[in-house]
Amino acid sequence: MALLEGLRLSKRFGGVTALSEVSFTVEEGTIVGLIGPNGAGKTTLFNLVAGALKPDSGRVVFRGEDITGLSPNIVCRHGIARTFQVTRPFGTMTCLENVGVGVINSPRSESDGNWRATALHYLETVGVEDLAFTEARHLNVVQKKKLEIARALATRPKILMLDEVLGGLNSQEIVQAVDFIRRLRDELHLTVFWIEHVMGAIMKAAEKVIVLDQGQHLMEGTPEQVVADSRVIHAYLGE
Amino acid sequence: MLALATMNGLVIGAIYALAALGVSLVVGIMNVINFAHGELYILAGYFSYILADTLGMHFVLAMVLAVALVFLFGIFVEYTLIRPTYGNDMYSLILTFILSIVLQNAYLLIFGPYPNKPPGWVGGATHVFGAFYYGNQRLAALVAGAVVIAFVFVLVKKTWFGRIIRATSQDREMAELNGVNTTRLNMLSFGLGCALAAAAGVILAPVFPVTPTAGVPVALTAFVVVVLGGMGSLWGCVVGGLILGLVENLGAAYISTGYKHVFNFIILILVLLVRPAGLFGRREA
Amino acid sequence: MTDIRFYLILFAAAGLFSLLPLGLGDYHLHVMIVSLYYLMMASSWNLLAGYTGQVSFAHAAFAGIGAYTSGILAVKFGVNPWAGVIIGTAAASLLGLGVGVLCLRMGGIYLSLTTLGFSEILRIVITNEYDITRGTMGLQVPGLVEEYSKAAYFYIMLGAAMITLIVLYKLIYSNKGLCFRAVQNDERAAASLGVDVVKVRVLAFTVSSALAGLAGGLYGHYLHLITPEIPSLDQQFLVLSMTVIGGMGSFLGPVIGAFSLEILSEYIRAYGEYHVLVFGLIALVVARFAPNGLMGLAASRLPGGPAPAVTVPSTGKS
Repeated sequence: MALLEGLRLSKRFGGVTALSEVSFTVEEGTIVGLIGPNGAGKTTLFNLVAGALKPDSGRVVFRGEDITGLSPNIVCRHGIARTFQVTRPFGTMTCLENVGVGVINSPRSESDGNWRATALHYLETVGVEDLAFTEARHLNVVQKKKLEIARALATRPKILMLDEVLGGLNSQEIVQAVDFIRRLRDELHLTVFWIEHVMGAIMKAAEKVIVLDQGQHLMEGTPEQVVADSRVIHAYLGE
Repeated sequence: MLALATMNGLVIGAIYALAALGVSLVVGIMNVINFAHGELYILAGYFSYILADTLGMHFVLAMVLAVALVFLFGIFVEYTLIRPTYGNDMYSLILTFILSIVLQNAYLLIFGPYPNKPPGWVGGATHVFGAFYYGNQRLAALVAGAVVIAFVFVLVKKTWFGRIIRATSQDREMAELNGVNTTRLNMLSFGLGCALAAAAGVILAPVFPVTPTAGVPVALTAFVVVVLGGMGSLWGCVVGGLILGLVENLGAAYISTGYKHVFNFIILILVLLVRPAGLFGRREA
Repeated sequence: MTDIRFYLILFAAAGLFSLLPLGLGDYHLHVMIVSLYYLMMASSWNLLAGYTGQVSFAHAAFAGIGAYTSGILAVKFGVNPWAGVIIGTAAASLLGLGVGVLCLRMGGIYLSLTTLGFSEILRIVITNEYDITRGTMGLQVPGLVEEYSKAAYFYIMLGAAMITLIVLYKLIYSNKGLCFRAVQNDERAAASLGVDVVKVRVLAFTVSSALAGLAGGLYGHYLHLITPEIPSLDQQFLVLSMTVIGGMGSFLGPVIGAFSLEILSEYIRAYGEYHVLVFGLIALVVARFAPNGLMGLAASRLPGGPAPAVTVPSTGKS
């Protein structure tokens, strides 16, 4: 069953069309990859779903409910959490406080007033608990990405939208990260919608891959179908 | 009375438009509001007064020099105060506000609270539309204001520099990726913004003499114009400036002189209530 | 900082302060009362600038709303000054709510522009409505206590300052305070985590305006004369400078800034009215080179000390 659905979404910036009539579905419990060359409109699509941008036309449907054009905080409360391509930590707050913001604003939060314990739990989940009392601005890129995932998880989402979280990792760490995301999905009963440049990782993790090119839905299918598709190869080589 | 108030509104409106253009340009490109805009307007008035009156220069030369000096001062301010805060809007607001108070107090110390007036360009009055006599100096100010506004439009719409300005205010990251040196652009546009305040100042100073705090109402009106017209929109400045100039003068003529600046504020509230992005604003900035 | 430590320090400091009237003459007590007024103003302005990242230029104006509301009620309708102060505080918070709702949807720059306009309009209205406000002459108002004594007003202001600090502490170190700081750091990220950015800002603005109204109301009755100086941009500037110099985003910064600048201004005043210019230059240098103010400098000297919370570039365009 489709958990998240986009229907003919379009977005223009000034004269430039960033997305044109893109439709897609993300099935509950799956990991869906979103790939495409630079400027294909991947992050714009995320922003439309998350409410950071409003589409010029088209609809976003989540769990059967129309959430088009709602503001980001409301979208989050519906159960959609995201990370940012360029991380946006709250620099002058400790990691614990960063995650705490997610905890205290979640309508599904299980913490009864004590957000610290819950926040610490999510820091442990992503493995940065020893940084709990460090200000987020002192973190390196990889730690910041982990912090953002912990923060997003703290809102107790149904779907986690990851925007290029593997940047800066070596090949062995990538394997571990893919394992980690799959485990998260299984243990927390999540659905994952995942933009990634590291193709190998997406091919290994995702059940379905959606390919965007120049703001258009190019194709979708299993990882095997996608890598074999001549249009995809052309889109990437033609870059 | 209607015709006279309308004429006054046009003259003041043109100056408001000019002052607002400077603010709008800087907001559009740098996302910085220069709260010392009014004090730079006054600074130019003082410069032209010193150059023309005290040093005896020809008034045109004095005006050009005054604008150039304020341009350089603007570049200095950008370099020393604004540039290090780039990316933190809050600090640029605080710094320019402090600067405005510092300048007001410095003027007070140097020039005293008395009004100073550079020499007029022309004397006499003209019989306008066969309806009333209107001071030639004010008519000249209207023409000069219109000329400078036209110059700004040509600069932004037609030249290479303007293309860079427009590209940057649309999408800063894209502009940077395409090789625009945004650091230098910031400096130039901040300087240009200050120069436009200065231009408004030298044009209006012979009509309304400068005092240390006379810049406050002009700057406030310029800010309202920018909100009314839509942040970063040039046409918004012109239309908004003329609207405010007319409203203020018609309001003063028919309702109350003491409250003439309050009308602008009422317009600001209405804009924020009804169309917060402004007349020509983009919905998503 | 734990709650117990905060209250211990607060009450210990207040205890020491309450001994001052025993040793200080009228003039020095006056300086202390004025300092306490600025402490309330700067600390509540800090809630906005230091903790939610919005710059209001109407803080002095809201103090003026508090002062004039209470003053006019007392003079025209014979309302008890204490009741007047409470009504003045309510009026300031209501106006704050209105201004906040009006412009905070559009983001920080709009708040700064609108509040600047609001200050100027208030000045115009006060000078024009001479019959009600006595314009620049000033409105003579009754005092808060039957028998005038500096010591009594000192204790009143001390009590009000404590209330202000407790309210601010409760708010800043609550869950809401966490959201405040998140919004100040990065409003887009905060929104993505479910924080209602507009609501958080309006709340901070309303509370801060109410506290300014309270401070202004009490101060007006202390002075016995309410003039347009109270809501002026010069006063706004002093409050801003005190916060910036003391340290924005730190709890103690504005407290230290208020006392040091008020005392300094008394010394400078001996040479003429240069204190605004001097503070302006100091504030420019501090804001540019030490954005965390005196508190930030102190923290960097003491390793392990609490680092005040500002300076991270907020979002660019949003």
